Amino acid sequence: MSFAHLSTRADEIIALYEYPQAAMLPLMWLVQNDHGWIPPEGEAWVAERLDVAISRVREVLSFYGMFRAEPMGRRELKVCTSLSCRLRGSEELLEAFSETFGIRPGETTADGAVSLTKVECLCACELSPMVQLDERFIGPVGAQDTGTIAAIAQDARSEPTSPEAAPEPSPFIDSSGPILSTRFADPGGVWFDAYTADGGYEAARKVLTGMEPKEVIEQVIAANLRGLGGAGFPAGRKWSFVPTDGDKPVYLVVNADEGEPGTSKDRHVMERDPHALLEGMLIAAFAIGAHKAYVYIRGEYFRPAQRLQRAVDEAYEKGWLGSDVAGTGFALDVVVHRGAGAYICGEETALLSSLEGSKGQPKLKPPFPAISGLFGCPTIVNNVETIACVPFILSHGPERFAAIGTERQGGTRLFCVSGHVERPGVFEEPVGVTLRELIEERAGGVRGGKRLKAVIPGGLSARILTAEEIDIAMDFDSVGAAGSMAGSAGVIVMDEDTCMVRTLDSAAHFYADESCGQCSPCREGTGWIHRIVKRIGAGQGKLGDLDDLLTISHDMEGRTICVFSEAAAWPVQSYITKFRGEFEDFIRSGRSLQGARSPEVSNA
Amino acid sequence: MPELTIDGRKVSVPDGTTVIEAAEQLGIFIPRYCYHPGLSTAGNCRMCMVDVENSPKPQIACNLPATEGMVVETESEQARKDRAAVLEFLLANHPLDCPVCDQAGECDLQNYYMNFGLYDPRFSEQKVKKEKAVEVGPHVMLDQERCILCSRCVRFTDEITKTGEFGIFNRGDRAELGLYPGETLDNPYSANVVDLCPVGALTERSFRFKARVWYLSSTKSVCGGCSRGCNTDLHHVTDRPHLNDAERLVRVKPRFHAQVNEWWMCDEGRYGHGWIDRDRLGEVRRRTDEASRRQVESDWDAAENALAPALAAANGRLGVVVSATQTTEELFSVREVLGERFGARIVVAPQAPGGKGDDFLIQADKAPNRAGARLLGLSDAPADGVESLVDAAIAGELDSLWVFGEDLVELVGAEKTRSLALSDCLFVYAGTNDNPTVSLARWVLPTAVPVEADGTFVNCDGRVQRVGRAFAPLAQARECQRVLCELASRAGVADAPSWSTTAEVFAAIAKSTDAFAGMSFESLGEQGALAASREPLAEAGTP
Ligand SMILES: Cc1cc2nc3c(=O)[nH]c(=O)nc-3n(C[C@H](O)[C@H](O)[C@H](O)COP(=O)(O)O)c2cc1C
Ligand code: SF4
Ligand code: SF4
Ligand code: SF4
Repeated sequence: MSFAHLSTRADEIIALYEYPQAAMLPLMWLVQNDHGWIPPEGEAWVAERLDVAISRVREVLSFYGMFRAEPMGRRELKVCTSLSCRLRGSEELLEAFSETFGIRPGETTADGAVSLTKVECLCACELSPMVQLDERFIGPVGAQDTGTIAAIAQDARSEPTSPEAAPEPSPFIDSSGPILSTRFADPGGVWFDAYTADGGYEAARKVLTGMEPKEVIEQVIAANLRGLGGAGFPAGRKWSFVPTDGDKPVYLVVNADEGEPGTSKDRHVMERDPHALLEGMLIAAFAIGAHKAYVYIRGEYFRPAQRLQRAVDEAYEKGWLGSDVAGTGFALDVVVHRGAGAYICGEETALLSSLEGSKGQPKLKPPFPAISGLFGCPTIVNNVETIACVPFILSHGPERFAAIGTERQGGTRLFCVSGHVERPGVFEEPVGVTLRELIEERAGGVRGGKRLKAVIPGGLSARILTAEEIDIAMDFDSVGAAGSMAGSAGVIVMDEDTCMVRTLDSAAHFYADESCGQCSPCREGTGWIHRIVKRIGAGQGKLGDLDDLLTISHDMEGRTICVFSEAAAWPVQSYITKFRGEFEDFIRSGRSLQGARSPEVSNA
Repeated sequence: MPELTIDGRKVSVPDGTTVIEAAEQLGIFIPRYCYHPGLSTAGNCRMCMVDVENSPKPQIACNLPATEGMVVETESEQARKDRAAVLEFLLANHPLDCPVCDQAGECDLQNYYMNFGLYDPRFSEQKVKKEKAVEVGPHVMLDQERCILCSRCVRFTDEITKTGEFGIFNRGDRAELGLYPGETLDNPYSANVVDLCPVGALTERSFRFKARVWYLSSTKSVCGGCSRGCNTDLHHVTDRPHLNDAERLVRVKPRFHAQVNEWWMCDEGRYGHGWIDRDRLGEVRRRTDEASRRQVESDWDAAENALAPALAAANGRLGVVVSATQTTEELFSVREVLGERFGARIVVAPQAPGGKGDDFLIQADKAPNRAGARLLGLSDAPADGVESLVDAAIAGELDSLWVFGEDLVELVGAEKTRSLALSDCLFVYAGTNDNPTVSLARWVLPTAVPVEADGTFVNCDGRVQRVGRAFAPLAQARECQRVLCELASRAGVADAPSWSTTAEVFAAIAKSTDAFAGMSFESLGEQGALAASREPLAEAGTP
């Protein structure tokens, strides 16, 4: 078995990066796409091309969920079982596919046609319950929807098509603006000519021809733009941390690893309005003095990556990227870099490790990325949505942007509302919108006239809120004051029939699966919690387990390299504290999650 | 130079010092697993967390730069809680193996648990099953279940040997340490990972189930495996011979020396000590009669009676081959007694050909003390020096030829050595171990190995270092200087030296040889001292 025929392509890829090892993930994708999986000979070839020990290649192969260490079916059907999908019956859907193909999750049909895989959140929660057939997202697929299931099964047994070939069904995707979604109406995407016809790249031209980097940063600070990846750090202030007198190159890295369960926002920017992201990147790169930018996009996002790449190619062609952007003398190169299935790579330093060709493990701080990040150079990492807000700020002025938001946070956000609502979807709203407005007005209220039980306001990692706690504005400060976090604006709604043990089971499974495994408290704690919760779910719980869960999750907090451990601890603590009676009843009854199927399925 | 306060005590440290280092300066040991001063900082075990004033979260001392005015507590209620929590997590999946674990007694998990843990165990779930007792290389065993994933061993093979054998595969609590399938841990420094491993996940194959560490005594020493002179600790048993198949030296561990070997040593040096207890020359032997050339057991008295008169009559017709594997004190005794008192022609056996060195520790010259010989004026013989001496003996130009420690058969060939044995020359062999030359000598004098006698080696950089004395000479073996002093006095030499200890020999060296001026055995201490010399001490460019 030889991979020599890939050598030319490998050389082209390696040339995109500052160091050969950074081409690790792309080369492994190259081998996998060529061969269907990554055999030992493929690992050896990658190790040789990059001049690294083969154990480094194996580390990477074993870390990322999408790399295959053994042959799989010609097609792969992935069923998401994270919370949003689970609330709408994905376990039953997985069972239905299991029966249809006659295999269990993780297996391949005897004829080698189809592999069935259970995966964590694909961040298409507005489509839930959803599946991914090879590169294509499909949803919603109700477990009772035998026609759709049969059609997907039939499709899975036929030849693959490219993700562009079959358009995704469109649940509600906002296009009313005013900032991020104005060009979202066309699911086929807005391309260079349409973008410029709409005034696109004018903000960048203004910046590159007539402004100082410092002025740009000042405007972004004045706009109160907060980081929309989840932490809400003021974007302009972060940019100002980059040393202006250093002799090392500066990098801009866009975080498109969207992975927080319940979140669906960055994908729409990249699919529907990719030039807005590129224009934002031009402005940000100018402000921080970067001439090279990477977009790290999660591996499962095939179509977004292809569309973004198309936009990058267009921008190079039209002179908006490259060594002399629009004749201004400013240089910017953009590389679209694909991940390979690891939630933790959304954490910015894990993302940098991954981009450098290693396992996606968060790095120690200090040093902070703005001082020493990618390849040891000053690096600014920003979320896609954050960067996509930047052209608006420069074209309409920071005051306008700030005025749309609240006192300390400007602008709007793309809220994804999923779970038990009438109209799941993605809604652009000023950040001061209330959680009640989002659920009741935009998403049509709780499904089937049921009562609201609980909401997770900002992605799975945010502490849960009860039905009484939803009269809060959705900006970072207000949600924080209510004891949770605005996070990634992924709103997951649960109706009165929701079983909290099942909800916790879903969260515990997710974090145990996704911990990078380097810190002892997180590695052991997530696994430990998951095993206790599984035992409770199997009807073997003891009342003392609840206090153990609280102590274990408390002991993980604040004692690790990154805040993943907090993200894993908060759901446990908040579910148990706010719904303790329900947990106790479940344990006392000796019920199991298997026995008592979720009532929510009956009305899916 | 920021000044900070740790546990109520102030200390000033250079910029860039971490809190864990600053604490060490105060003699405060902050427990750690992943931190190791010789490796990059990983910060993953979280054991070294300390309580820092005005910091909402505990901080890991290994990655915390000391800053002016910082106030750190390592023993506060909070810090104790933090450590206990980490220990509980680490033990969650750790097997209850201590009774059968070779690391027991020097395991940091066991030790810290006793000091900082001792909670009621809460963990009652199934532990993650992994592989146990796998041989990962010629010297090292791996037990994956015991591994706490501190990544020290991974960083060692990445950063120090740059061989990259180890990896941590998978993620979450499925993460496991291992090698790529089919790879072996066989780099020349592989066993250092055993010392690095804070628990019993990596253990020495050679030490497996041999002895409980608490039965071992320890002696500070230096390795004689090559001219680097890595500092070592010798672990030995004398009273329980059954523990190690009657070998007294059970294992060798590197001992930190900033200028010589840092924390490391090579596998050759670590495991190349079997000769100390094997194939030793334990008794004085003599040839019975010229015809049969059979050797029989004799004793020192008989040897001295026979050899002293021969020396007294030597009158310059005496040749000596010494070895750069001998200590400076042995070489000096030979020079003083046989050279100065009896006019011997002394040649040093040359560097064995084919020795390989590297750009880290290992030197091409496998003799530990060539520099010492040079400083004593015992320069290397020309390439054919030994051979011409033997030729002279065969030709009847020498009455006696003494060979110390070297195998003539290897140096000049079996043919010539046999001719020597057949000649009239009185051929005396003094040494520690059997070799093909020994049986051909008229007298065989068993001498002590360096770690039975103490003494110094001068390493490739001119550092004079003590070998230490771990145990007494085996059977009838005697320290070289003692043999020579007694022969000299038996031969009636008027100013015969009368050194009764190796320290006295060293004192004589320091007095008579400029390079050692001002040194004493005691002042050499654990770190040794650089000899004053303008001469190149090792041949350049012989890796
Ligand atoms: C466990 C974890 C997962 C994260 N996932 C993402 C993600 O998928 N996308 C993202 O933009 N930021 C994510 N973040 C936040 C990033 O670390 C970082 O704060 C962000 O990319 C900075 O960009 P911003 O300031 O524009 O938000 C994650 C953080 C943690 C701790
Ligand atoms: S907290 Fe968890 S995810 Fe973050 S670095 Fe530590 S082990 Fe990895
Ligand atoms: S084997 Fe030992 S040194 Fe290596 S990672 Fe595990 S515990 Fe650490
Ligand atoms: S490098 Fe030389 S001195 Fe050091 S341990 Fe190896 S053989 Fe011994």
